[in-house]
Amino acid sequence: MDSNSSMDGGNIDLSKLSDTDKKELQQFIVNESQKARIQGTIHALTDTCWKKCITGAIRSNKLDKSEETCAQNCVDRWVDGTYTIVQHLDKLRTKGAAGSREMF
Amino acid sequence: MNSFGDNQKQAVMQQVRQEAAMTNARQLIEKVNEHCFEKCVPKPGSSLSSGETQCFTSCMEKYMAAWNTVSRQYIQRFQAEQAKGAAGGMM
Repeated sequence: MDSNSSMDGGNIDLSKLSDTDKKELQQFIVNESQKARIQGTIHALTDTCWKKCITGAIRSNKLDKSEETCAQNCVDRWVDGTYTIVQHLDKLRTKGAAGSREMF
Repeated sequence: MNSFGDNQKQAVMQQVRQEAAMTNARQLIEKVNEHCFEKCVPKPGSSLSSGETQCFTSCMEKYMAAWNTVSRQYIQRFQAEQAKGAAGGMM
């Protein structure tokens, strides 16, 4: 960390920031949150796709061609799955809205 | 005053970046250990053999390669979906 920072220990007085600084900081946090969320998804996806695609013993430190292709397909089909779920959920919701008030 | 506020702002950003990097590393280590332990240590002995250690390092590099492949593919798809139009936004 830079030596002249005046906030070690986490005591940062944000009230002293100017409005432009506050805005910039807010945007920075929004961006970082999105980055963290995407990174979290990638961790979960790597976990899932590793299980599906790396089925044999570890023989090398690289992915072979079929493992690589499998991992790529795994990501795309996973995203397809997400879309299918959301679309079907939407269909159920519109259909359900006509009559019952049940959630599911 | 201005440089004081600027320092504060930079400090917050720095701290957020560091925490994000730590979280990322922690998640990676957790997953690598989980999967590579499974692959490399089928029957835990009294110590980690050199073969098991070797397996761990290969497995770790392989897991990171898989992470990069998944990351590239996901981000590519993410951007393709966003370019396709307003239909996205739920990924």
